[in-house]
Amino acid sequence: MKDTAEQVIDRSAKTVVSFFVASAGLWLLAAALLAYVAAAKLTDPFFLSSCEFLTYGKVKVAQANAFVYGWGGNSIFAATLWILARLSQVEVRGRVMLLFSGVLWNLAISFGLLGILDGHMNAHEMLEMPTVVWPVLFISYAIIAFLALVIHRSRKHNDTIAPQWFILASLIWFPALFLIAWNGLEINPARGTLPSVLSLWFGQSLIWLWLTPMALGAAYYIIPTILGRAIDKYYLAIFGFWCIAALAPWSVVHHLEGGPVPMWIPAIGTVMSIAMIFPIAVASTNFHATAFKDIDKVWNNLPLRFVIFGTISYTLSSYIGVIFSLPDVAKLTQFSIINEFHFNQRVYGFFSMIIFGVVYHMLPHITGKEISKGAKSFHFWTSAFGVLILLLAYLIGGLTHGVLAQQPSLDWSSSVISSVQPYFKITKYAFIILGFSQLVFVINVWKVIFPNPFACCLASSSERKGKTA
Amino acid sequence: MTEEKETPEESPVASDEEMVKVHAELHREKPPPTMGFLHAPLVFVFLFGCLVFFCSIQLANSTNKFQLHPPEDLVKLSPEEKAALKLERKAESGKKIFAIRCASCHQLNGQGLPNMFPPLAGSEWATSDPGLITKIILNGLKGKIEVKGETWGLVPAQNMIPVPISDREIANVTTYVRQAWGNSASEITEQQVSDFRAESSGQTEQWTGEQLRALYPSGISDK
Repeated sequence: MKDTAEQVIDRSAKTVVSFFVASAGLWLLAAALLAYVAAAKLTDPFFLSSCEFLTYGKVKVAQANAFVYGWGGNSIFAATLWILARLSQVEVRGRVMLLFSGVLWNLAISFGLLGILDGHMNAHEMLEMPTVVWPVLFISYAIIAFLALVIHRSRKHNDTIAPQWFILASLIWFPALFLIAWNGLEINPARGTLPSVLSLWFGQSLIWLWLTPMALGAAYYIIPTILGRAIDKYYLAIFGFWCIAALAPWSVVHHLEGGPVPMWIPAIGTVMSIAMIFPIAVASTNFHATAFKDIDKVWNNLPLRFVIFGTISYTLSSYIGVIFSLPDVAKLTQFSIINEFHFNQRVYGFFSMIIFGVVYHMLPHITGKEISKGAKSFHFWTSAFGVLILLLAYLIGGLTHGVLAQQPSLDWSSSVISSVQPYFKITKYAFIILGFSQLVFVINVWKVIFPNPFACCLASSSERKGKTA
Repeated sequence: MTEEKETPEESPVASDEEMVKVHAELHREKPPPTMGFLHAPLVFVFLFGCLVFFCSIQLANSTNKFQLHPPEDLVKLSPEEKAALKLERKAESGKKIFAIRCASCHQLNGQGLPNMFPPLAGSEWATSDPGLITKIILNGLKGKIEVKGETWGLVPAQNMIPVPISDREIANVTTYVRQAWGNSASEITEQQVSDFRAESSGQTEQWTGEQLRALYPSGISDK
């Protein structure tokens, strides 16, 4: 039987994509562990307090970096390579180089995280890994991105569609953001308020221009593929794409509201955040108008259910983000744990959920093995439950925190901290649930990627039994 | 919720190749106009207009005309804060004058030199009546005086000559001296200094300890 073109592509992508997915899973577990340690330290200051390298400031930063660069980076490479290869109808080439760069990327992150825990932290948001690590990360990223662009360049059809725009954009925007921030912070260090603005801009833009377009592109690919129908109101997608490209890097500076920066910076951020309503509405319309035409299938197909959870979460979180960017609201919430809500909503509720869906859709194609439905379903419900609890705790806790902190007459430790503390306890349990759910994900994935080493022994022993019988 | 229908998760209806074609086609073709097609864009234009209006107001109100500095009323100080800031600056200026004009004898730490020049830190001559210290600076001081239980000015070389500085400078340096090194006496204003200058216009020579003691009997305790 002759293989179809798609099977050939899947086979060409197998090793590379499996490598990236497997390492992404490990990073996810590492991040989950660090997240638990950080959350536990907030409720019990004596937890692991004898380990100098596990102080809260280090663990918290290490967790964010492990999550974004370890889990985010690896899973982005996997999804990018496979989706681009599928849409271009071209095999993945340069596999040795891809694997080499992948190993380099993971080693660099490992050293970077050890550096953070050892105390060699940079003082820039999401650039905390030690300076020496960054050239290695950048080179390995450049190689992978270049080979992904080669796939796209040699595509069979000249036309490009929405998933390709978003995925290619995320591929190119990350190094662009990095070079701008690295130039302004390390190569030609700026003076005055600029470095702090730049640092915040990079940390937030990373989520808006690297993780977000990737997840949106993946959703634009997965939804029509599984449903077998074209995207509804597809003509809007291009508008949404350019809106994100033009507005998102401006809108992130609204986080500086009330900070020691020229007033026009947060004001522009607020205005651009409000204008972000348009791209959010476009993506939401595209995804949900398509999905709700066949809601049964969405419900029964687990990869799709993950993706739709992610897109709904994207819509809600982005609208909530718009509300929190208004100066009057920001006054209340700016210096509270609401920021944790934003970060976790983006990376867990939106990005990770969509990537889970993509991985579950991708792996059976690549390896030819099914993942058991019960395991996936269990993963979905624990994830959804954990994310909801986590976000509600951060949202309600953040509002409480912000409103109480506005009243100078209240005693800080006895009234403000004690009323926020229960929410920290809830987040600790939420991180336990999420960690458990991610463990299930990793087991699901590793079982499919790595053939059971005992399988041959079992087979041979049963054969022997059969012979003796 | 746990019981779900088993549906095949495989076999997307459209292949990837088809998907690219279909969407590329959609992108080229405008959707066919429907009956209500005029209204939806109009509503959007209206909403977009509202948004632009709101955002312009927001920008105009909160950017302070794109200036680097925040508006006056945000950084304006209360009268008390202003007074405190003024006093701080006055003392700073006084410290500089002290270093140039006075520290060679009385030393930067205000302790003077044993058996040569009397201390200012903790001295009644400096901290009691504003007139006392001001007049000494204006006309100088000669002869024996008692400071902190010791007798000073035994030889003419230890006499103090008048310090030729302006009223404002005298006000600054006396304020500094009266509030430095643990001293905590009142501030002296420029106006007070010019009054004292007028009062002592008849005095052509340096003051003596007795003269000043007669002028300010409450200022110097008898020992």
